[in-house]
Amino acid sequence: MSILSRGHRLAMKRLSVDAPRPSLRHLPTAIAFAAALLLTVLFRALLVTHPLALIWSALVMVLATILAALYSLTARATRWSLLVPGVSLLAIAVLRYSTGGTTSLFSALIILPVVWISAETGRRWVAVAILGTSAALMLPYAIDLRWPSDASEWLRGVFTPVVFGLAAIVINELSRQARRQVDDVRRLVSEGEKLLAESLSTAAQLEANEVQLRAADRLTRSVLDAVTEQSVIGTDLTGLIDVWNPGAQVMLGLSPVQAQGKRYVFDFHLADELDARSRELNYPPGATVLNPGFSALVESARLGRAEVRDWTYVRDDGSQISVSIAVTPRFDDLSETVGYIFVATDVTHALESSRLKDEFVGLISHELRTPLSSILGYLELIRDDDEAPLSAEQLQYLGVAERNAHRLLALVGDLLFTAQVSSGRFPLTISTVKMSEVVSAAVLSARPVALGAGVELLIELPADALSVLGDSVRLGQACDNLISNALKFTPRGGRVTVSLKSRGNSVVVTVRDTGIGIPESELDQLYARFFRASTATRNAVPGVGLGLTITKAIVTAHEGELDVESEEGVGTAFIMTLPVATLPLATQPLTTLSLETYLAKPAS
Amino acid sequence: MDLGVTAHLIAGPKRAVIADDDADIRALVSIAVRRAGLEVVAEESDGVAALEAVRRLQPDLAILDVSMPAMSGLEVCRSVRAESSLDGVRLVLLSAGAEDRSRSIGLAAGADDYLIKPFSPKMLATALAEMMGLTEMIGHVE
Repeated sequence: MSILSRGHRLAMKRLSVDAPRPSLRHLPTAIAFAAALLLTVLFRALLVTHPLALIWSALVMVLATILAALYSLTARATRWSLLVPGVSLLAIAVLRYSTGGTTSLFSALIILPVVWISAETGRRWVAVAILGTSAALMLPYAIDLRWPSDASEWLRGVFTPVVFGLAAIVINELSRQARRQVDDVRRLVSEGEKLLAESLSTAAQLEANEVQLRAADRLTRSVLDAVTEQSVIGTDLTGLIDVWNPGAQVMLGLSPVQAQGKRYVFDFHLADELDARSRELNYPPGATVLNPGFSALVESARLGRAEVRDWTYVRDDGSQISVSIAVTPRFDDLSETVGYIFVATDVTHALESSRLKDEFVGLISHELRTPLSSILGYLELIRDDDEAPLSAEQLQYLGVAERNAHRLLALVGDLLFTAQVSSGRFPLTISTVKMSEVVSAAVLSARPVALGAGVELLIELPADALSVLGDSVRLGQACDNLISNALKFTPRGGRVTVSLKSRGNSVVVTVRDTGIGIPESELDQLYARFFRASTATRNAVPGVGLGLTITKAIVTAHEGELDVESEEGVGTAFIMTLPVATLPLATQPLTTLSLETYLAKPAS
Repeated sequence: MDLGVTAHLIAGPKRAVIADDDADIRALVSIAVRRAGLEVVAEESDGVAALEAVRRLQPDLAILDVSMPAMSGLEVCRSVRAESSLDGVRLVLLSAGAEDRSRSIGLAAGADDYLIKPFSPKMLATALAEMMGLTEMIGHVE
């Protein structure tokens, strides 16, 4: 770049068309004058008619030379530099006078300053040159204060200026043309200079862009290469692969060279899964879309939504792998979709561990329920033995054993239930449920506990039954959980109020206590499995932290909401909001539906 | 005196086969069955043995645990229902309740009733007596 610009500056110098400096233009006149002066000194007797005038003319020429030097020093060209030929003309005129006047040998010198003057821009300088010539030629007559005496003198005074004038016109025209050419050249030079500058800056810009692009490319590449646990596959609109990161190589067993530009992303999918999905999306079989399977794969991304969905990848060796794939569109600089990106995460282990956990919980639950069944069954046999009735004390001990066996049983049930919730299998038996009955039953069954804990248990019911669509057992469990929680966390002498209200299209169950409260910072963790509030552990309130998780899951499955208001030391309120039953009771059969079917019902 | 009691007096008590892999539960069920007025003719600890016992003894009632080694209670139910010679056998499934939608599956497999552990021996006895038409026999046997 810098080499170019230096060459460019040199070229400009070679093309320089600036006018010569005044000193240079004056030089011929000065040399010729000096030569004339030398001749007059050498042949004084022969040539000089007025010695004093000769000295004057020399002085005037010195002045002209000084002027020329001065104008050469000033940076800018100025019209005033024409004083130099003017003064020179005067000096030559005086020289001519001093060396014989009209018969002087040195009349021809006049041509030198005239050339200078007439070369100046503008026709008027031709006139100036002619007048100057005339004046110089007529000077002897002016000094001698007489008119030309005869016709030949007149002619000499007119003819020579006319010839000089013609020469001046030619010079003026030539120099005008020369100037025009110079201007053209100058313009071309400046245009060239501009173009060169532009192309130089464009080149610099391109170079900078290229550097940026390379940096961006390196960044993208290093990010892609760093993702080794996930496969990142990019395709064009037809599914032809053009991006294949190391994660994809590990996951699918092909190198980038084997995949890019050669394979389609749907080659790595189970055809059955793609078919099933395209049927789900109601694609006409094989007709309108190029590849129904690929269209099914990118359906959401095509509509501008990122989608995460579980699929099965088929490796090059035919083995299969369960993956969760996020599909996103790729855009060009006009925001047109030009392809898709598929980021796949191997979920085989996650699925396996989730399945093992479910299996484990199922097994544990079964294994715990069997001995508990024995314990409870045999305890009942002891209690009901008519032949050997128990003493009051024995009955009391038996009661404790039975109560604790039931506690264990409830815990096992809760564990199994949360496992079902977390794995998404959550059976609900849907019917029209009168919430007033559910709430009353829950309060009734909590009475003995409240009595034992010395806590006042109040119920506020509306006149209406307030029905919801749901699983009566699960809703009862939710109410039981909230009431038993409230009782557990309320000190002796406190109060728990259970109220049922209708609010808009909702049924609201509120369980409010005057208990120890929950710190605000812990409110958002309340529904996490096995979470226990610090106030609970500090006050040694028993529990494992499953009740609220289960209650929340039940309420959510009923499309309801569970809210909490709490102040430490003042009390807590749990507010369960459920959508009111909207279907007419008569058309509501008491059937068992899966949760999915229930949720899929259109709201009327 | 109703027909059930008459039949009982004439042909002897109705007979039951019990199958559960847990011996204590087996004993508990056995007590409830006897209290309901039935005679326990076989106690088995796995599904294959239970099916064999039902085929051999052709009892009036079989109480089967759902999860048993070798063959589940559900499979025993299906096998029994597949044999016309065993039409008269009433089937009751007992489940530890860990299975999804188990009740409907149990009934679909051919069970007449589906009970969940833990069960109250007294209530099991009442339910069985009702099912077998032996309501008045409760507490009269043993």
